Amino acid sequence: MTTIQETETDERKIVTFTLGTQMFGIDMRSLIEIREWEEPTPLPSVPAFIKGVTNLRGSVVPVVGLSERLGWAPSVLHPRSCILVVSIAGRQAGFLVDEVADIVVINGGDIQPAPDVEVNDESVIAGLVKIERRTTDTETTEAMVLLLDLDALSLIRHLTDLAA
Amino acid sequence: MSTGNDELDEIQAIFFEECAEGLAVAEQGLSAMAAGDVSADVIAGVFRAVHSIKGGSGAFGHAALLAFSHRFENVLDEVRAGHIAASAEVTKVMLNAFDILSDHVAAAQGTAAVPADATMLEQLDAILEHKGMPGAAAPAPAAPAAPASAAPVAEDDGFGFVPVAAAVDDFDPFGFEPVAIDLDDLAPAEPQAWTVRFGPSRAALANGSEPLLLIRELESLGGAIVAVDATALPGLRDLDPEESYLVWTVSLPGTVAETDIRECFDFVAPDSVIEITQDAVTETPIVVEAPAAQAIEAPMLTLVETSTAVVAPVTATTTAAEVRTAEPAAQTIRVDLSKLDQLLNLVGELVIRGSILSDRLSPVDQERVELPELSRLTRQIQDNVMSLRAQPIKQAFSRVPRMLRDLMAETGKKVVLETSGEMTEVDKGVIEKIGDPLTHMIRNAVDHGIESTDERIAAGKPAEGTIRLSAEQKGARIVVRVSDDGRGINRERVRAKAIEKGIISADAQLSDEEIDSLICAPGFSTAETISNISGRGVGMDVVRSNVEALGGRVEIHSTPGEGTTFVMALPLTLAILDGMIVRLGDQRYVVPLANVIETVRPETGQVKPTSPTQEVIELRGSYLPIRRVDEMFGFAANDRRSPEESVVIIVESDASGHVGLMVDTIDNRREVVIKSLEDNLHPIRGLGGATILGDGSIALILDIDALVAASGNHSKFALKGMAA
Repeated sequence: MTTIQETETDERKIVTFTLGTQMFGIDMRSLIEIREWEEPTPLPSVPAFIKGVTNLRGSVVPVVGLSERLGWAPSVLHPRSCILVVSIAGRQAGFLVDEVADIVVINGGDIQPAPDVEVNDESVIAGLVKIERRTTDTETTEAMVLLLDLDALSLIRHLTDLAA
Repeated sequence: MSTGNDELDEIQAIFFEECAEGLAVAEQGLSAMAAGDVSADVIAGVFRAVHSIKGGSGAFGHAALLAFSHRFENVLDEVRAGHIAASAEVTKVMLNAFDILSDHVAAAQGTAAVPADATMLEQLDAILEHKGMPGAAAPAPAAPAAPASAAPVAEDDGFGFVPVAAAVDDFDPFGFEPVAIDLDDLAPAEPQAWTVRFGPSRAALANGSEPLLLIRELESLGGAIVAVDATALPGLRDLDPEESYLVWTVSLPGTVAETDIRECFDFVAPDSVIEITQDAVTETPIVVEAPAAQAIEAPMLTLVETSTAVVAPVTATTTAAEVRTAEPAAQTIRVDLSKLDQLLNLVGELVIRGSILSDRLSPVDQERVELPELSRLTRQIQDNVMSLRAQPIKQAFSRVPRMLRDLMAETGKKVVLETSGEMTEVDKGVIEKIGDPLTHMIRNAVDHGIESTDERIAAGKPAEGTIRLSAEQKGARIVVRVSDDGRGINRERVRAKAIEKGIISADAQLSDEEIDSLICAPGFSTAETISNISGRGVGMDVVRSNVEALGGRVEIHSTPGEGTTFVMALPLTLAILDGMIVRLGDQRYVVPLANVIETVRPETGQVKPTSPTQEVIELRGSYLPIRRVDEMFGFAANDRRSPEESVVIIVESDASGHVGLMVDTIDNRREVVIKSLEDNLHPIRGLGGATILGDGSIALILDIDALVAASGNHSKFALKGMAA
């Protein structure tokens, strides 16, 4: 499943990562880079999920605790914690995630719409998709990936909502 | 037209930029003329500027602008040719005409309504008709108002200046028509008629240089198309309808000046065919009599049959190049401002990387010659890039004369403007932002400072007030001064008003400077009547807040009866800030040096608590409030440093006066490159941005005014500018 091939238009590459025990995915095209966790410079008067700002090759980029942003418990930092730097509508942001798993090609047709129940921010989940996940060299298991809608995670948009 | 809307908009934007430049040149020239310099160069400069505006306005279909600039140009042309003397009255009318021209440009840009220009056009026509002011050199103030059409010779008789007018008429036997567009009126070919061969560049249509407009311009000079050379026209199959293949031969009367013809070609691409010859014989028989318009609108269909499918390459003639080199303009290129910003950003990065590198090397290696050399080069590059963004402050000053004329008309006061240092260079961003404060200061000076003429005479002053506008560079700052020789600040009235408005308490002890600075307090206005000019609800407080937002300061010096001087001290650039790096907890912050008054290392007992969370510092007998940045930001460390181990930075802020900021230590003082937070996030109240320090870490830049003001109502900082 990990063969990276851009063949049909309906196939898309996603980056999968974990927050706690749950697996998430974002569109590969939005990813700029993956960085090691580095303590960001804290900012005053921002929501708690904005951890601060960091220096990304000369730009001042906000770092977001994605887990808190999605309403889960804050991530506990560990050696494999890392920052996914993504571009959302031309602005850059870093997402703190527990561990980056894989790059997977999925078929657009396999994405199921997110059930619009319970979750705080159901709008940030663009859909669900099942992938096969390698557990050992020989075995694979199925795993459910929550695809994130990055536009809905835009910091600007969120803060505008807050202000409104 | 092959140009899409975006492209057209882009070209339009360039046109308006050129208009702005042209207007600046014209204004400068006209001002010089008003000051008595009526040399040919100056007049020609004004003429060229107006001519360029006219040329572009036609191309973009701004009819009102075209019509007005055309009439204006006619007058200028006559002045340039010496047919009309550039007398003070004529210059005055032209200055007023210039104002209307600026309004027309603004209207074409869509930022203002189309001005009423009928009266001005009449005045211009009157000048044209009379070869000078109607009523010749009569200094009568009523002269400009004399309508042209209703100014027959009989009226001149009344003034008794007929001999002068007659003499001018004799001097000009051709009888230039004010509006040369009526080409039918013009007599056909004089001896030694001009023959102009014009073949637009292949890409002329794609570039928006419509040949039709040019031919019309030639026609307006009295030209007529006598031949069309279609040999370059390819067969229908190879024909690109958006390319230009034809070469026109236009015959112009010999009375037309060669420079006028050449100026028609000011805007054509260099690879066009332009041949201007003066020849009594029109060598080519008239082949196509079709009006130019028809030839353009359906050129390919009507003319294909005459082409014999031989594609003759359109060779670039050197004539075009000669026309170009004749222009004395300096060589410039237009660069998108964002590219310069990017470059400046990268260079800032380079500086930071350089210091990181230096930090990592051992002291011995740091001393080696390569590294200082590298940092010297880097610094030079940085200076150069900054100088690319620098523009003469003249751009900001240039709108002042016009404004003064309006103000004089509104108030009836007489004011002379003296400017100096207008070539001082400042970052473009600063120039853009000082326009409004400058406007307010000038308005304030005219409205409140300069007395009425009667009052001035009674006080033994010259009847005309003087406003001096100057700029100079002092270190890393630009100092702009606006001074008037008016009545000065009436401190008693200011004080009374401030008490009345509740800005100060009735028993407040204030120094003269403190009283003067009250006029910059929000909501303060001393004008007895709310005037149309200064009483628009925006006052000197706007000046102060705008200037401080730029990292600058405003000072006021006033001497009663002698005048007031406003001093704006501005940073040279907005991209780099002179800051003090301070340490607090495990974070570093940048305090803009512009806000810092002094630093104090408190002695035991100098800092006293006034509540569990508030402290004051005793400084030379007065108590100043102290703020801890980390507590304001909510990052308070567990172990609070004792005041004796801390440093207190006394900062000046607009709203709260002097306040002490308590920090752990001061690292150093240095220039930092400002990175905005809103690039990737949003503005945060209390922060002016962030910067990247030598070790690659980020330090937040404090916005002292917002910070100190916000800490008054202690809660959380409000989010500002969200929707923007």
